Amino acid sequence: MAPPPVATPPVATAGGEPRRRLHPLSPLLHGARALVVIVAALSWSSLREFGLGWFALAVLVLAFGATIWSLISWANTGYHVVGHELRVYEGLLWRRTRAIPLERLQSVEVVRPLLAQLTGLAELRLEVVGGGKTEAPLAFLSVADAVALRDRLLAIAGRSAPAAEAAPAGSPSLVEGAAPPRVSDELLAVSNRDLVISQLLTPQAISLPIGVAFVVLQFGFDPSWSFIGVASTLTAIAGVLLQPVRRVLSDWNFRLARDASALRLRFGLTETRAQTVPVHRVQGVTATWPLLWRTHNWLRLTLDVAGVAGEGGANRAETDRLLPVGTPEEADVVAAAVLPGVLLGALVFAPPPPRTRWFHPLARPKLGVTLTDRVVATREGLLTRTVLMLPYARIQSVRVVQGPLQRLLGVATVYADSARGRSAALRDRDLAEAWWLAGELAERGRAARLAAPDRGPSVRV
Amino acid sequence: MDIAAAEPSSPLEPWPETVRWQPVSRDLIWVELIRWGASAAMLLLPLGILWAIFGGWPLGLAFGVVLVLMFWRFWAIFRAVRAWGYAERDHDLLVRHGLLVRRLSIVPYARMQFVDVSAGPLERAFKLATVQLHTAAAASDARVPGLRPAEASRLRDRLTALGEDRAEGL
Repeated sequence: MAPPPVATPPVATAGGEPRRRLHPLSPLLHGARALVVIVAALSWSSLREFGLGWFALAVLVLAFGATIWSLISWANTGYHVVGHELRVYEGLLWRRTRAIPLERLQSVEVVRPLLAQLTGLAELRLEVVGGGKTEAPLAFLSVADAVALRDRLLAIAGRSAPAAEAAPAGSPSLVEGAAPPRVSDELLAVSNRDLVISQLLTPQAISLPIGVAFVVLQFGFDPSWSFIGVASTLTAIAGVLLQPVRRVLSDWNFRLARDASALRLRFGLTETRAQTVPVHRVQGVTATWPLLWRTHNWLRLTLDVAGVAGEGGANRAETDRLLPVGTPEEADVVAAAVLPGVLLGALVFAPPPPRTRWFHPLARPKLGVTLTDRVVATREGLLTRTVLMLPYARIQSVRVVQGPLQRLLGVATVYADSARGRSAALRDRDLAEAWWLAGELAERGRAARLAAPDRGPSVRV
Repeated sequence: MDIAAAEPSSPLEPWPETVRWQPVSRDLIWVELIRWGASAAMLLLPLGILWAIFGGWPLGLAFGVVLVLMFWRFWAIFRAVRAWGYAERDHDLLVRHGLLVRRLSIVPYARMQFVDVSAGPLERAFKLATVQLHTAAAASDARVPGLRPAEASRLRDRLTALGEDRAEGL
């Protein structure tokens, strides 16, 4: 399916590089994508109102218009790499040139929706800090082009520090192409069976029989129940089930690999994604132990990367996975790759002092913080236990907050803020300890920054 | 990890030996008083008028409660402004504020993205300005109000200079 990578010489600095276009099939794909949107927008009620003929005509006309529109925009879109920037040109009437500084690159993703998989195309998405949304989705390129461009951008981003300029431009790990990562690199593969079971063990899936029983009973007692009633109930059930199903589809065949400087994640059934995250861009890792997974002793790891899919709460879950489901041993392998020297099982958490038990009547023993030599970790949650690990080097600021009730008990909460907008909350620590923690976090953050400056060589294991 | 090994210090003055806290200008009290007085008046005036017209004890009670709250707030402002403070250490800026909920922020200069200096009309009338330090984390809370313009620009220049020296961004 995937053609071999084109031997594009990864030139580090190409000043007068010609502007390149997206793949000529892209307008068609955009048109097909628009078709779905149009059908959804017109909705079934208008189908009934206008009849099939007019409906089909309207859809066709609109889809044709959308295709023409994307043809025009395709003809006016171009990109090329200038120095340390990727420049994207677009627009016919309102011209727009975006220069994306590659030093700020947080992650690159090659996304292949179903249609793109059929046509051998791919979309390249760049995540840059400060971009509220995904910056510069180049849709679509041929797979070989997308992979070559991705590797080139990563090479430039990683080599922006002069110290690393000497490294060979096409180091083997960076030109692996669209083929699956070499076996030696592969850290982990999640079995699809586990994935399906794990998603069946979610509240949504568990509650499915109740929903179905409700429909059947309703129908049995009241046969006059209208078609609309049944249909809308079924739609509601489908909506509830959508999340686990979507998870299964998107996490299908989950593979995690890492090379010298980056994590490579590949997953997806209908839409395959190949995400590349430089390890030094990881802002934090969260481990979650859902209640229903306890019988299998499973957990989930998610990744915080600044700028990935910005604000959207729903979107976030789609892009930040690190391990959709796994055993503690697998999690340790993964965590060690992302945050070297961190063993999830070996973390010993210090709970808040016993006098705060009225704040957390049940959860107090489950709360806790720990400082290792690389990360600050906090544990929370009674039923769904989560552990958030934040590397010192990624701490943006430290805050100590003491509310009135906390003052009565002489405790305070320390926050370590990360660029992802998530803060590690060290809840209800004894005041003296809180000050000590705050000072220590600030100091260790500084030491870690000095030891591993962000612009420095990214090859750091 | 020995977390409990720490020397006790007073709640608002951590690390007394290394940190020299700078107070903010007392004129900030007036700015805050006027700001709060204006909003309290917006509430008190209609209440008072209604009370005068219709009488009745619930309106009077509400009026009284708002009045008491207003005076309590005024008293709190005096103390809150005194509780504001900032300190420039070698590598980070400390900002503390709040009475009911006490907050201390530690923001490394190296993490600074940009600095805002702002002054509203009321602040300008009292020759004050606000300096705010932004990092990549939205939760960072390093805002210093009630600075004299000269001090505000000095702080801004110092912050940007230090930020450039140690720029790492993310």
